[in-house]
Amino acid sequence: MNKDLLTNIVRFIGLLFFQIFLFDQINFLGFINPMVYLLFIILYPIENKRWDIMLISFLLGIILDTFQDTGGAHAAACVTLAFTRPIWLRLVYGESYKMKNIKVLKTSMDRLLLLLLFCIIVHHVIFFSLVIFNGSQILYTLKLTLSIGAATLVVNCIILALFKSRVKS
Amino acid sequence: MQQIFNFLIKYRNLLLYLFLMVIAVTFTIQSHDYHRSTTIHSTGKITGGILSTRNGVYDYFDLINHNKKLSEENASLRMRLLEIGDTLLGKETTLTFTDSIPYNIFPARVIKNDFYKSDNYITIDIGANQGIQPDMGVISTSGIVGVTDRSNEKFSRVISILNSQISLNAQIKGTSTIGSLKWDGYDPYVMSLEDVPRLAQVKKGDTIITGKQSTLFPSDILIGEVQDAKLVENGSRYKITVRLFNDMTDLDHIYVIKNRDQKAIQEIDTLGTNE
Repeated sequence: MNKDLLTNIVRFIGLLFFQIFLFDQINFLGFINPMVYLLFIILYPIENKRWDIMLISFLLGIILDTFQDTGGAHAAACVTLAFTRPIWLRLVYGESYKMKNIKVLKTSMDRLLLLLLFCIIVHHVIFFSLVIFNGSQILYTLKLTLSIGAATLVVNCIILALFKSRVKS
Repeated sequence: MQQIFNFLIKYRNLLLYLFLMVIAVTFTIQSHDYHRSTTIHSTGKITGGILSTRNGVYDYFDLINHNKKLSEENASLRMRLLEIGDTLLGKETTLTFTDSIPYNIFPARVIKNDFYKSDNYITIDIGANQGIQPDMGVISTSGIVGVTDRSNEKFSRVISILNSQISLNAQIKGTSTIGSLKWDGYDPYVMSLEDVPRLAQVKKGDTIITGKQSTLFPSDILIGEVQDAKLVENGSRYKITVRLFNDMTDLDHIYVIKNRDQKAIQEIDTLGTNE
């Protein structure tokens, strides 16, 4: 139990640090900055209670909002991701995912990829519609969602693959 | 009573979600509002400190570029000083910076810059301690950058010209035609000059500068050049596409301008409405 807590604290701070210092500065093609911090929410231990992950996600989002001047867009996207996570878990691992007591990081790569895809879509759609906040710019919002979403997926896959190899050994 | 408790317990996750969502969306709406004091911003002590550390690290990768830009600016300023120097008596070239100029200029550096959102903000590394207040113009070597918005002791936030809420007074160089400069929210290199009368003489390549009506900026600061002009509103007005001289995606050394007479001008301007 204590080890879990420690891992999560390290992940929380580490992902925030890398997001702010490294991934917010990439500016690939001028605007593409992948978001790695949502790995924290995806990898958070699966439990029956949901209020704790929602509160932590909100905190995570609001910290990033202060750094990027996005108001509450990160927070809204993170809370929604945390709230809908059981739906995506059920879709990917089947109805009985709670019984199996699985750890997301130890599952096979193809399932992880699928879970990542669902979570990134939910998060990015909410984030960019709140950031752009203009109905007449739907195409631009979609462009941002798709391009940055793809970058997030690729980078998160690489990070997960790196950590998975460490977990097995 | 029992039923209320049951309801609360049954839907506690949904209620918590809605509660947090309402807070987040409120913050978001606040952040899209010009001149509303936002709760979540990047000028806090801790946030500002971390952002300026980050900037310090990344500065090393770009030193050559920065030096080149600064030395170019130095050269051009020196040339202008020489021009003025001719008209002055003796060696007292410092005379050009006396009370006769109603502007104070503060050098500053950008520690955070955005350009892909529809309301972009810049954070700079000087604040109230250095005399920064809200509503001061910000320029860089090659053009205008934005308007200061809020500041604490050490850091300030600047509303970038790439912000849907901003509207600046601008003028076509060489004529007295004025219009308001706005950003459409797509391209960080392009803005549009609206409300230009149909009779205005405008052609491709004309230079756009800040207008004399602006209390934020001195007049004749460069903005950009005319890329395209078309008539809108049944041909009664021009909408001019302006390509910015300034690369808003690559800002570092900037200057905050304090207009000594800003309050006095605004007082005179609003006299009629107060009566």
